[in-house]
Amino acid sequence: MANHKPFFALKPDRGMLIALLVFILLPFVIGLFDGASPAQVWMNGSGQSKFIQGLAIEIFILALYALSYDLIFGFTGLLSFGHSMFFAVGAYLTGILLKNFGFSLAATFGMIFVASILQALLFGMVLPRVKGITFALVTLGMASVFHVLVLSTELGKFTGSDVGLQGVVVPDFISPATERLRLYFITLTILVVVFMLYKRFVNSTTGRVCTAIRENEGRALMLGYNTFYFKLAALMLSSLTAALAGMMHSIYQPIVSPNVAGLGFTVTALLIILIGGVGTLNGAIIGAVAYRLLDYGLRRYIGESASFINGAVYVLIVLFLPFGIVGTWRMKSLQINQGWKRLLGMFTNSQDKSDGA
Amino acid sequence: MDYILDVQDIHTFIGQYHILQGVSVRVPRGSITALLGRNGAGKTTTLKSILGLTPPRQGKIMFEGNEIQGMLSFNIASLGIGFVPENRSIFRDLSVEENLKIAERKKGDYAGKKGFIFTLFPDLKRLINLSGINLSGGQQQMLAIARALVADNCLLLIDEPSEGLAPVLIEQLMKAIQQLSAYSTVVLVEQNFLVASQLAEYYVIIEEGRSVKEGKMKDLTNDKATIQHYLGAA
Repeated sequence: MANHKPFFALKPDRGMLIALLVFILLPFVIGLFDGASPAQVWMNGSGQSKFIQGLAIEIFILALYALSYDLIFGFTGLLSFGHSMFFAVGAYLTGILLKNFGFSLAATFGMIFVASILQALLFGMVLPRVKGITFALVTLGMASVFHVLVLSTELGKFTGSDVGLQGVVVPDFISPATERLRLYFITLTILVVVFMLYKRFVNSTTGRVCTAIRENEGRALMLGYNTFYFKLAALMLSSLTAALAGMMHSIYQPIVSPNVAGLGFTVTALLIILIGGVGTLNGAIIGAVAYRLLDYGLRRYIGESASFINGAVYVLIVLFLPFGIVGTWRMKSLQINQGWKRLLGMFTNSQDKSDGA
Repeated sequence: MDYILDVQDIHTFIGQYHILQGVSVRVPRGSITALLGRNGAGKTTTLKSILGLTPPRQGKIMFEGNEIQGMLSFNIASLGIGFVPENRSIFRDLSVEENLKIAERKKGDYAGKKGFIFTLFPDLKRLINLSGINLSGGQQQMLAIARALVADNCLLLIDEPSEGLAPVLIEQLMKAIQQLSAYSTVVLVEQNFLVASQLAEYYVIIEEGRSVKEGKMKDLTNDKATIQHYLGAA
Protein backbone atom coordinates (compact mmCIF):
# COMPACT_ATOMS: atom_id res chain seq x y z
CA MET A 1 0.00 0.00 0.00
CA ALA A 2 1.29 3.45 -0.84
CA ASN A 3 2.55 5.39 2.12
CA HIS A 4 0.92 8.81 1.89
CA LYS A 5 2.64 11.18 4.25
CA PRO A 6 0.89 14.50 4.89
CA PHE A 7 3.07 17.55 4.29
CA PHE A 8 3.04 18.58 7.93
CA ALA A 9 3.43 15.09 9.34
CA LEU A 10 5.79 15.90 12.21
CA LYS A 11 6.72 14.12 15.37
CA PRO A 12 4.76 15.79 18.15
CA ASP A 13 7.09 18.17 19.94
CA ARG A 14 5.66 18.28 23.45
CA GLY A 15 7.75 21.26 24.55
CA MET A 16 6.74 23.37 21.57
CA LEU A 17 3.04 22.43 21.96
CA ILE A 18 3.17 23.55 25.60
CA ALA A 19 4.91 26.77 24.53
CA LEU A 20 2.20 27.36 21.92
CA LEU A 21 -0.52 26.85 24.51
CA VAL A 22 1.25 29.27 26.88
CA PHE A 23 1.47 31.91 24.14
CA ILE A 24 -2.21 31.46 23.24
CA LEU A 25 -3.32 31.92 26.85
CA LEU A 26 -0.70 34.51 27.82
CA PRO A 27 -2.64 37.72 26.99
CA PHE A 28 -5.71 36.49 28.90
CA VAL A 29 -3.78 35.24 31.93
CA ILE A 30 -1.84 38.50 32.19
CA GLY A 31 -5.15 40.34 31.84
CA LEU A 32 -6.64 38.38 34.74
CA PHE A 33 -3.67 39.29 36.96
CA ASP A 34 -4.20 42.91 35.94
CA GLY A 35 -7.92 42.77 36.78
CA ALA A 36 -9.11 42.69 33.15
CA SER A 37 -11.59 40.03 32.07
CA PRO A 38 -10.86 37.91 28.97
CA ALA A 39 -13.61 39.88 27.19
CA GLN A 40 -11.81 43.14 27.91
CA VAL A 41 -8.53 41.66 26.66
CA TRP A 42 -10.38 40.40 23.56
CA MET A 43 -11.66 43.95 22.93
CA ASN A 44 -8.06 45.24 23.04
CA GLY A 45 -8.43 47.12 26.28
CA SER A 46 -5.30 48.90 27.45
CA GLY A 47 -3.27 47.59 30.37
CA GLN A 48 -0.54 45.17 31.24
CA SER A 49 -1.83 42.53 28.84
CA LYS A 50 -1.55 44.87 25.86
CA PHE A 51 1.99 45.74 26.84
CA ILE A 52 2.96 42.08 27.16
CA GLN A 53 1.36 41.37 23.77
CA GLY A 54 3.66 44.01 22.28
CA LEU A 55 6.72 42.49 23.92
CA ALA A 56 5.69 39.03 22.71
CA ILE A 57 5.19 40.31 19.13
CA GLU A 58 8.76 41.63 19.22
CA ILE A 59 9.92 38.20 20.43
CA PHE A 60 8.01 36.42 17.65
CA ILE A 61 9.57 38.71 15.04
CA LEU A 62 13.05 38.16 16.47
CA ALA A 63 12.40 34.41 16.55
CA LEU A 64 11.40 34.45 12.86
CA TYR A 65 14.54 36.37 12.03
CA ALA A 66 16.74 34.03 14.11
CA LEU A 67 15.11 30.94 12.54
CA SER A 68 16.05 32.26 9.12
CA TYR A 69 19.67 32.67 10.25
CA ASP A 70 19.72 29.23 11.85
CA LEU A 71 18.69 27.70 8.52
CA ILE A 72 21.62 29.11 6.58
CA PHE A 73 24.24 29.13 9.33
CA GLY A 74 23.15 26.35 11.68
CA PHE A 75 21.99 23.85 9.08
CA THR A 76 23.74 24.74 5.83
CA GLY A 77 26.96 26.14 7.29
CA LEU A 78 26.85 29.43 5.38
CA LEU A 79 28.30 32.11 7.61
CA SER A 80 26.74 35.36 6.42
CA PHE A 81 27.55 38.76 7.90
CA GLY A 82 24.94 40.40 5.68
CA HIS A 83 21.83 38.70 6.99
CA SER A 84 20.39 41.94 8.35
CA MET A 85 19.91 43.03 4.74
CA PHE A 86 17.30 40.28 4.25
CA PHE A 87 15.34 41.66 7.21
CA ALA A 88 15.86 45.31 6.32
CA VAL A 89 14.69 44.85 2.73
CA GLY A 90 11.41 43.42 4.06
CA ALA A 91 11.05 46.19 6.62
CA TYR A 92 11.88 49.10 4.31
CA LEU A 93 9.92 47.76 1.36
CA THR A 94 6.83 47.31 3.54
CA GLY A 95 7.15 50.80 4.94
CA ILE A 96 7.76 52.46 1.58
CA LEU A 97 5.04 50.58 -0.31
CA LEU A 98 2.42 51.15 2.40
CA LYS A 99 3.35 54.77 3.08
CA ASN A 100 4.47 56.19 -0.27
CA PHE A 101 2.64 54.06 -2.79
CA GLY A 102 -0.54 53.05 -0.95
CA PHE A 103 -0.11 49.34 -1.73
CA SER A 104 -2.44 46.81 -0.15
CA LEU A 105 -0.97 44.37 2.35
CA ALA A 106 -1.31 41.46 -0.11
CA ALA A 107 0.43 43.39 -2.89
CA THR A 108 3.15 44.41 -0.44
CA PHE A 109 3.69 40.77 0.50
CA GLY A 110 3.90 39.87 -3.18
CA MET A 111 6.59 42.50 -3.71
CA ILE A 112 8.48 41.28 -0.65
CA PHE A 113 8.33 37.74 -1.99
CA VAL A 114 9.91 38.88 -5.26
CA ALA A 115 12.49 41.07 -3.50
CA SER A 116 13.51 38.28 -1.13
CA ILE A 117 14.08 35.88 -4.03
CA LEU A 118 16.14 38.54 -5.84
CA GLN A 119 18.33 39.29 -2.83
CA ALA A 120 18.90 35.57 -2.27
CA LEU A 121 19.97 35.31 -5.92
CA LEU A 122 22.31 38.25 -5.36
CA PHE A 123 23.97 36.44 -2.44
CA GLY A 124 23.80 33.20 -4.42
CA MET A 125 25.79 34.70 -7.30
CA VAL A 126 28.97 34.51 -5.23
CA LEU A 127 28.28 31.06 -3.78
CA PRO A 128 30.24 29.06 -6.37
CA ARG A 129 33.28 31.30 -5.96
CA VAL A 130 33.64 31.98 -2.25
CA LYS A 131 33.31 29.93 0.90
CA GLY A 132 33.64 30.33 4.66
CA ILE A 133 34.91 33.63 5.93
CA THR A 134 35.25 35.02 2.39
CA PHE A 135 31.52 34.45 1.84
CA ALA A 136 30.87 36.17 5.17
CA LEU A 137 32.91 39.20 4.09
CA VAL A 138 31.34 39.40 0.64
CA THR A 139 27.84 39.31 2.14
CA LEU A 140 28.93 41.96 4.66
CA GLY A 141 30.02 44.09 1.71
CA MET A 142 26.65 43.71 0.00
CA ALA A 143 24.74 44.50 3.19
CA SER A 144 26.99 47.51 3.83
CA VAL A 145 26.13 48.91 0.40
CA PHE A 146 22.44 48.51 1.25
CA HIS A 147 23.02 50.18 4.64
CA VAL A 148 24.73 53.14 2.93
CA LEU A 149 21.82 53.38 0.49
CA VAL A 150 19.17 53.60 3.21
CA LEU A 151 21.25 56.22 5.02
CA SER A 152 21.83 58.31 1.89
CA THR A 153 20.13 61.67 1.63
CA GLU A 154 19.25 61.01 -2.02
CA LEU A 155 16.89 58.24 -0.96
CA GLY A 156 15.90 60.07 2.24
CA LYS A 157 12.46 60.86 0.81
CA PHE A 158 11.66 57.15 0.95
CA THR A 159 13.92 55.72 3.65
CA GLY A 160 14.04 58.64 6.05
CA SER A 161 17.83 58.55 5.87
CA ASP A 162 19.52 58.38 9.30
CA VAL A 163 16.27 59.25 11.14
CA GLY A 164 14.62 56.12 9.75
CA LEU A 165 11.36 55.51 7.97
CA GLN A 166 8.61 57.04 10.11
CA GLY A 167 4.84 56.85 10.07
CA VAL A 168 4.25 53.63 8.18
CA VAL A 169 0.55 53.49 7.30
CA VAL A 170 -0.72 50.20 8.67
CA PRO A 171 -4.14 48.82 7.64
CA ASP A 172 -6.67 49.26 10.44
CA PHE A 173 -7.43 45.58 10.86
CA ILE A 174 -3.89 44.89 12.09
CA SER A 175 -3.13 48.23 13.67
CA PRO A 176 -0.79 47.67 16.64
CA ALA A 177 -2.61 50.43 18.50
CA THR A 178 -6.22 49.27 18.12
CA GLU A 179 -5.98 45.61 17.03
CA ARG A 180 -2.93 44.45 18.91
CA LEU A 181 -4.39 41.11 19.97
CA ARG A 182 -5.16 40.27 16.35
CA LEU A 183 -1.63 41.27 15.33
CA TYR A 184 -0.34 39.15 18.21
CA PHE A 185 -2.14 36.05 16.95
CA ILE A 186 -1.25 36.71 13.30
CA THR A 187 2.45 36.99 14.19
CA LEU A 188 2.23 33.89 16.39
CA THR A 189 0.54 31.98 13.55
CA ILE A 190 3.23 33.04 11.08
CA LEU A 191 5.91 31.87 13.53
CA VAL A 192 4.21 28.49 14.06
CA VAL A 193 3.72 27.92 10.31
CA VAL A 194 7.31 28.93 9.51
CA PHE A 195 8.62 26.72 12.33
CA MET A 196 6.67 23.70 11.01
CA LEU A 197 7.81 24.43 7.48
CA TYR A 198 11.42 24.61 8.65
CA LYS A 199 11.07 21.35 10.60
CA ARG A 200 9.74 19.73 7.47
CA PHE A 201 12.54 21.24 5.40
CA VAL A 202 15.41 20.12 7.63
CA ASN A 203 13.97 16.59 7.87
CA SER A 204 13.55 16.32 4.10
CA THR A 205 16.19 15.02 1.71
CA THR A 206 16.98 18.62 0.76
CA GLY A 207 17.48 19.48 4.44
CA ARG A 208 19.75 16.48 4.95
CA VAL A 209 21.84 17.50 1.97
CA CYS A 210 22.12 20.98 3.55
CA THR A 211 23.39 19.34 6.76
CA ALA A 212 25.79 17.27 4.65
CA ILE A 213 27.05 20.44 2.96
CA ARG A 214 27.68 22.01 6.36
CA GLU A 215 29.67 18.97 7.48
CA ASN A 216 31.60 18.25 4.29
CA GLU A 217 30.67 19.89 1.02
CA GLY A 218 33.21 17.83 -0.93
CA ARG A 219 31.52 14.61 0.15
CA ALA A 220 28.10 15.94 -0.83
CA LEU A 221 29.52 16.77 -4.27
CA MET A 222 30.97 13.28 -4.55
CA LEU A 223 27.55 11.81 -3.89
CA GLY A 224 26.42 13.58 -7.04
CA TYR A 225 24.70 16.61 -5.49
CA ASN A 226 25.11 20.00 -7.11
CA THR A 227 25.53 21.73 -3.76
CA PHE A 228 25.01 25.18 -5.27
CA TYR A 229 21.28 24.59 -5.78
CA PHE A 230 20.81 23.34 -2.23
CA LYS A 231 22.62 26.33 -0.74
CA LEU A 232 20.59 28.63 -2.96
CA ALA A 233 17.35 26.95 -1.85
CA ALA A 234 18.32 27.47 1.80
CA LEU A 235 19.24 31.09 1.07
CA MET A 236 15.90 31.74 -0.63
CA LEU A 237 13.85 30.26 2.19
CA SER A 238 15.93 32.13 4.72
CA SER A 239 15.67 35.40 2.81
CA LEU A 240 11.89 35.08 2.51
CA THR A 241 11.53 34.37 6.22
CA ALA A 242 13.78 37.25 7.26
CA ALA A 243 11.94 39.62 4.90
CA LEU A 244 8.62 38.46 6.35
CA ALA A 245 10.01 39.19 9.82
CA GLY A 246 11.02 42.63 8.54
CA MET A 247 7.51 43.17 7.18
CA MET A 248 5.94 42.31 10.56
CA HIS A 249 8.49 44.59 12.26
CA SER A 250 7.44 47.48 10.01
CA ILE A 251 3.77 46.84 10.73
CA TYR A 252 4.23 46.56 14.49
CA GLN A 253 6.62 49.44 15.19
CA PRO A 254 5.57 51.17 12.73
CA ILE A 255 8.91 52.87 12.05
CA VAL A 256 12.06 51.38 10.53
CA SER A 257 15.39 52.38 12.02
CA PRO A 258 18.48 52.14 9.77
CA ASN A 259 20.06 50.05 12.55
CA VAL A 260 18.19 47.01 11.24
CA ALA A 261 20.34 47.16 8.11
CA GLY A 262 23.63 47.25 10.01
CA LEU A 263 26.11 44.56 11.01
CA GLY A 264 24.89 44.83 14.61
CA PHE A 265 21.53 43.36 13.67
CA THR A 266 23.20 40.36 11.99
CA VAL A 267 25.14 39.86 15.21
CA THR A 268 21.80 39.91 17.06
CA ALA A 269 20.64 36.91 15.01
CA LEU A 270 23.92 35.13 15.63
CA LEU A 271 23.71 35.88 19.35
CA ILE A 272 20.14 34.58 19.58
CA ILE A 273 20.98 31.24 17.99
CA LEU A 274 24.16 30.96 20.05
CA ILE A 275 22.05 31.44 23.19
CA GLY A 276 19.35 29.04 22.03
CA GLY A 277 21.54 26.48 20.28
CA VAL A 278 22.93 26.56 16.75
CA GLY A 279 21.24 24.18 14.31
CA THR A 280 18.36 23.27 16.61
CA LEU A 281 15.44 25.44 15.34
CA ASN A 282 13.79 25.35 18.80
CA GLY A 283 16.87 27.20 19.99
CA ALA A 284 16.10 30.16 17.73
CA ILE A 285 12.74 30.66 19.48
CA ILE A 286 14.06 30.03 22.99
CA GLY A 287 17.06 32.25 22.26
CA ALA A 288 14.76 35.06 21.06
CA VAL A 289 12.71 34.83 24.28
CA ALA A 290 15.87 34.86 26.44
CA TYR A 291 17.50 37.66 24.44
CA ARG A 292 14.51 40.02 24.42
CA LEU A 293 13.47 39.41 28.03
CA LEU A 294 17.02 39.84 29.28
CA ASP A 295 17.43 43.03 27.30
CA TYR A 296 14.05 44.36 28.44
CA GLY A 297 14.55 43.38 32.09
CA LEU A 298 18.03 44.83 32.39
CA ARG A 299 17.12 48.06 30.62
CA ARG A 300 14.09 48.51 32.81
CA TYR A 301 15.89 48.03 36.10
CA ILE A 302 19.42 49.19 35.31
CA GLY A 303 18.98 51.63 32.45
CA GLU A 304 21.42 52.26 29.64
CA SER A 305 24.33 50.58 31.44
CA ALA A 306 22.40 47.34 30.95
CA SER A 307 24.38 46.74 27.74
CA PHE A 308 27.48 46.05 29.83
CA ILE A 309 25.74 43.37 31.94
CA ASN A 310 23.98 42.07 28.82
CA GLY A 311 27.35 41.47 27.20
CA ALA A 312 28.71 39.77 30.31
CA VAL A 313 25.67 37.47 30.44
CA TYR A 314 26.16 36.49 26.78
CA VAL A 315 29.80 35.69 27.43
CA LEU A 316 28.79 33.53 30.41
CA ILE A 317 26.14 31.73 28.35
CA VAL A 318 28.63 30.96 25.59
CA LEU A 319 31.22 29.82 28.15
CA PHE A 320 28.96 27.62 30.26
CA LEU A 321 26.40 26.56 27.66
CA PRO A 322 28.65 26.12 24.62
CA PHE A 323 25.89 24.33 22.70
CA GLY A 324 23.26 26.90 23.68
CA ILE A 325 20.24 26.25 25.88
CA VAL A 326 18.61 23.64 23.62
CA GLY A 327 21.86 21.98 22.54
CA THR A 328 23.07 21.63 26.14
CA TRP A 329 19.63 20.45 27.29
CA ARG A 330 19.62 17.73 24.62
CA MET A 331 23.04 16.51 25.72
CA LYS A 332 22.23 16.64 29.42
CA SER A 333 18.80 15.07 29.01
CA LEU A 334 20.47 12.11 27.32
CA GLN A 335 22.78 11.78 30.31
CA ILE A 336 19.86 12.25 32.73
CA ASN A 337 17.85 9.58 30.89
CA GLN A 338 20.80 7.20 31.01
CA GLY A 339 21.24 8.00 34.73
CA TRP A 340 17.56 7.27 35.40
CA LYS A 341 17.81 4.00 33.48
CA ARG A 342 20.88 3.02 35.51
CA LEU A 343 19.14 3.94 38.75
CA LEU A 344 15.97 2.06 37.82
CA GLY A 345 18.13 -0.84 36.66
CA MET A 346 19.79 -0.98 40.08
CA PHE A 347 16.41 -1.14 41.83
CA THR A 348 15.03 -3.66 39.36
CA ASN A 349 18.11 -5.83 39.74
CA SER A 350 18.03 -5.66 43.54
CA GLN A 351 14.27 -6.42 43.39
CA ASP A 352 15.01 -9.43 41.16
CA LYS A 353 17.72 -10.58 43.55
CA SER A 354 15.48 -10.25 46.61
CA ASP A 355 12.68 -12.06 44.73
CA GLY A 356 15.14 -14.79 43.87
CA ALA A 357 16.30 -15.07 47.46
CA MET B 1 40.42 -6.06 -22.99
CA ASP B 2 37.39 -3.97 -22.04
CA TYR B 3 38.49 -1.04 -19.88
CA ILE B 4 35.85 0.81 -17.85
CA LEU B 5 38.35 3.53 -16.91
CA ASP B 6 41.31 4.66 -18.95
CA VAL B 7 43.47 7.42 -17.47
CA GLN B 8 45.97 8.61 -20.07
CA ASP B 9 49.07 10.49 -19.03
CA ILE B 10 47.46 13.01 -16.68
CA HIS B 11 49.30 15.95 -15.15
CA THR B 12 47.81 17.55 -12.06
CA PHE B 13 48.89 20.61 -10.14
CA ILE B 14 47.95 21.52 -6.59
CA GLY B 15 48.65 25.22 -6.33
CA GLN B 16 52.09 25.66 -7.89
CA TYR B 17 53.15 22.06 -7.22
CA HIS B 18 53.24 19.63 -10.12
CA ILE B 19 51.95 16.56 -8.27
CA LEU B 20 51.05 14.14 -11.06
CA GLN B 21 53.60 14.21 -13.84
CA GLY B 22 52.24 11.56 -16.15
CA VAL B 23 49.97 8.95 -14.60
CA SER B 24 48.26 6.33 -16.75
CA VAL B 25 45.89 3.78 -15.28
CA ARG B 26 43.76 1.28 -17.17
CA VAL B 27 41.06 -0.50 -15.20
CA PRO B 28 39.53 -3.66 -16.73
CA ARG B 29 35.77 -3.93 -16.22
CA GLY B 30 34.75 -6.11 -13.28
CA SER B 31 38.24 -6.19 -11.78
CA ILE B 32 39.87 -4.92 -8.60
CA THR B 33 42.85 -2.76 -9.52
CA ALA B 34 45.23 -1.56 -6.83
CA LEU B 35 47.16 1.70 -7.01
CA LEU B 36 50.37 1.07 -5.13
CA GLY B 37 53.19 3.34 -4.10
CA ARG B 38 54.92 4.95 -1.18
CA ASN B 39 53.46 7.78 0.90
CA GLY B 40 53.11 10.95 -1.16
CA ALA B 41 53.57 9.15 -4.48
CA GLY B 42 50.31 10.61 -5.86
CA LYS B 43 47.82 7.75 -5.43
CA THR B 44 45.10 9.77 -3.70
CA THR B 45 45.66 12.71 -6.08
CA THR B 46 45.08 10.30 -8.96
CA LEU B 47 41.70 9.34 -7.50
CA LYS B 48 40.87 13.00 -6.89
CA SER B 49 41.85 13.86 -10.46
CA ILE B 50 39.54 11.16 -11.81
CA LEU B 51 36.74 12.65 -9.70
CA GLY B 52 37.43 16.22 -10.76
CA LEU B 53 38.33 17.34 -7.25
CA THR B 54 41.84 18.26 -8.43
CA PRO B 55 41.25 18.49 -12.19
CA PRO B 56 44.21 17.51 -14.38
CA ARG B 57 45.73 20.20 -16.63
CA GLN B 58 46.90 17.70 -19.22
CA GLY B 59 45.96 14.22 -20.28
CA LYS B 60 42.74 12.38 -20.81
CA ILE B 61 40.38 10.46 -18.55
CA MET B 62 37.98 8.11 -20.33
CA PHE B 63 35.12 6.53 -18.40
CA GLU B 64 32.89 4.09 -20.26
CA GLY B 65 34.45 5.42 -23.48
CA ASN B 66 33.64 9.07 -22.77
CA GLU B 67 36.02 11.84 -21.79
CA ILE B 68 35.28 13.09 -18.28
CA GLN B 69 38.17 15.42 -17.52
CA GLY B 70 36.95 18.99 -17.16
CA MET B 71 33.51 17.89 -15.93
CA LEU B 72 32.29 19.06 -12.51
CA SER B 73 32.63 16.62 -9.60
CA PHE B 74 28.92 16.08 -9.05
CA ASN B 75 28.42 15.35 -12.74
CA ILE B 76 31.27 12.82 -12.69
CA ALA B 77 29.79 11.17 -9.59
CA SER B 78 26.39 11.03 -11.31
CA LEU B 79 27.89 8.97 -14.13
CA GLY B 80 28.18 6.10 -11.65
CA ILE B 81 31.47 6.60 -9.86
CA GLY B 82 31.40 6.08 -6.10
CA PHE B 83 34.17 7.35 -3.86
CA VAL B 84 35.17 6.12 -0.41
CA PRO B 85 37.69 8.67 0.83
CA GLU B 86 40.69 8.05 3.04
CA ASN B 87 39.26 9.86 6.06
CA ARG B 88 35.88 8.14 5.67
CA SER B 89 34.02 11.47 5.75
CA ILE B 90 30.71 10.17 6.90
CA PHE B 91 28.21 12.81 7.97
CA ARG B 92 28.53 12.87 11.75
CA ASP B 93 25.23 14.57 12.54
CA LEU B 94 23.20 12.21 10.37
CA SER B 95 22.15 8.75 11.53
CA VAL B 96 23.45 5.62 9.80
CA GLU B 97 20.19 5.34 7.87
CA GLU B 98 20.26 9.02 6.87
CA ASN B 99 23.89 8.62 5.76
CA LEU B 100 22.78 5.79 3.49
CA LYS B 101 19.61 7.47 2.25
CA ILE B 102 21.43 10.64 1.28
CA ALA B 103 23.47 8.59 -1.22
CA GLU B 104 20.34 7.70 -3.21
CA ARG B 105 20.57 8.89 -6.77
CA LYS B 106 17.02 7.90 -7.52
CA LYS B 107 14.12 7.13 -5.23
CA GLY B 108 14.16 3.55 -4.03
CA ASP B 109 17.93 3.04 -4.36
CA TYR B 110 18.29 2.54 -0.61
CA ALA B 111 15.25 0.29 -0.28
CA GLY B 112 16.51 -1.85 -3.13
CA LYS B 113 20.07 -2.16 -1.86
CA LYS B 114 19.69 -2.34 1.90
CA GLY B 115 19.36 -6.14 1.91
CA PHE B 116 22.70 -6.48 0.10
CA ILE B 117 24.33 -3.78 2.27
CA PHE B 118 23.25 -5.39 5.53
CA THR B 119 24.45 -8.78 4.31
CA LEU B 120 27.87 -7.26 3.69
CA PHE B 121 27.90 -5.22 6.89
CA PRO B 122 25.50 -6.79 9.43
CA ASP B 123 26.71 -4.38 12.13
CA LEU B 124 25.18 -1.42 10.31
CA LYS B 125 21.67 -2.86 10.66
CA ARG B 126 22.05 -2.89 14.43
CA LEU B 127 23.38 0.69 14.44
CA ILE B 128 20.85 2.05 11.96
CA ASN B 129 19.55 4.87 14.19
CA LEU B 130 22.89 5.86 15.71
CA SER B 131 24.49 9.15 14.70
CA GLY B 132 27.66 8.96 12.64
CA ILE B 133 29.58 10.66 15.42
CA ASN B 134 28.95 7.69 17.73
CA LEU B 135 30.43 5.06 15.39
CA SER B 136 33.87 3.53 15.84
CA GLY B 137 36.53 3.86 13.13
CA GLY B 138 35.72 0.45 11.68
CA GLN B 139 32.00 1.10 11.68
CA GLN B 140 32.58 4.46 9.98
CA GLN B 141 34.64 2.74 7.28
CA MET B 142 31.88 0.19 6.71
CA LEU B 143 29.32 2.97 6.50
CA ALA B 144 31.50 4.91 4.04
CA ILE B 145 31.75 1.86 1.75
CA ALA B 146 28.07 1.00 2.22
CA ARG B 147 27.14 4.56 1.23
CA ALA B 148 29.01 4.17 -2.05
CA LEU B 149 26.95 1.04 -2.73
CA VAL B 150 23.52 2.67 -2.37
CA ALA B 151 23.49 4.25 -5.81
CA ASP B 152 24.12 2.20 -8.95
CA ASN B 153 27.85 2.87 -9.13
CA CYS B 154 29.63 0.76 -11.70
CA LEU B 155 33.03 2.00 -10.48
CA LEU B 156 34.12 2.35 -6.87
CA LEU B 157 37.24 4.27 -5.89
CA ILE B 158 38.30 3.22 -2.40
CA ASP B 159 41.10 5.10 -0.71
CA GLU B 160 43.08 3.36 2.06
CA PRO B 161 40.23 1.28 3.50
CA SER B 162 42.41 -0.53 6.03
CA GLU B 163 44.07 2.56 7.46
CA GLY B 164 43.88 2.68 11.25
CA LEU B 165 41.75 -0.45 11.58
CA ALA B 166 42.27 -3.49 13.80
CA PRO B 167 43.31 -6.69 11.96
CA VAL B 168 39.97 -8.38 12.62
CA LEU B 169 38.13 -5.47 11.00
CA ILE B 170 40.52 -5.43 8.05
CA GLU B 171 39.64 -9.07 7.38
CA GLN B 172 35.93 -8.25 7.51
CA LEU B 173 36.43 -5.32 5.13
CA MET B 174 38.48 -7.42 2.72
CA LYS B 175 35.67 -9.97 2.53
CA ALA B 176 33.17 -7.20 1.88
CA ILE B 177 35.28 -5.62 -0.88
CA GLN B 178 35.73 -9.02 -2.50
CA GLN B 179 31.96 -9.59 -2.43
CA LEU B 180 31.06 -6.20 -3.81
CA SER B 181 33.53 -6.58 -6.68
CA ALA B 182 31.03 -9.02 -8.16
CA TYR B 183 28.73 -6.03 -8.81
CA SER B 184 31.12 -3.20 -9.41
CA THR B 185 34.65 -2.51 -10.67
CA VAL B 186 36.95 -1.38 -7.87
CA VAL B 187 40.02 0.85 -7.84
CA LEU B 188 41.78 0.48 -4.55
CA VAL B 189 44.47 2.68 -3.06
CA GLU B 190 46.18 0.68 -0.36
CA GLN B 191 49.40 1.13 1.60
CA ASN B 192 49.18 -2.33 3.10
CA PHE B 193 50.64 -4.50 0.36
CA LEU B 194 49.41 -7.70 1.99
CA VAL B 195 45.82 -6.45 1.81
CA ALA B 196 46.21 -5.13 -1.74
CA SER B 197 47.84 -8.31 -3.03
CA GLN B 198 45.06 -10.49 -1.62
CA LEU B 199 42.28 -8.35 -3.07
CA ALA B 200 43.45 -7.02 -6.41
CA GLU B 201 43.88 -8.77 -9.75
CA TYR B 202 45.74 -5.88 -11.36
CA TYR B 203 48.10 -3.21 -10.07
CA VAL B 204 49.61 0.09 -11.08
CA ILE B 205 52.67 1.41 -9.21
CA ILE B 206 52.91 5.17 -8.87
CA GLU B 207 56.27 6.68 -7.98
CA GLU B 208 56.86 10.42 -7.52
CA GLY B 209 53.78 11.36 -9.52
CA ARG B 210 54.38 8.95 -12.42
CA SER B 211 52.95 5.54 -13.14
CA VAL B 212 56.00 3.34 -13.48
CA LYS B 213 54.74 -0.21 -13.66
CA GLU B 214 51.49 -2.07 -14.22
CA GLY B 215 50.37 -5.63 -14.66
CA LYS B 216 48.77 -8.59 -12.98
CA MET B 217 49.01 -8.78 -9.20
CA LYS B 218 50.02 -12.46 -9.22
CA ASP B 219 53.09 -11.54 -11.28
CA LEU B 220 54.00 -8.77 -8.85
CA THR B 221 53.73 -10.97 -5.78
CA ASN B 222 56.41 -13.20 -7.30
CA ASP B 223 58.64 -10.26 -8.16
CA LYS B 224 60.27 -9.51 -4.81
CA ALA B 225 62.81 -7.13 -6.30
CA THR B 226 60.09 -4.80 -7.70
CA ILE B 227 58.17 -4.90 -4.45
CA GLN B 228 61.33 -4.06 -2.51
CA HIS B 229 62.33 -1.31 -4.93
CA TYR B 230 59.03 0.54 -5.24
CA LEU B 231 57.12 -0.34 -2.13
CA GLY B 232 59.83 -1.08 0.42
CA ALA B 233 58.05 -4.30 1.36
CA ALA B 234 59.37 -7.78 0.90
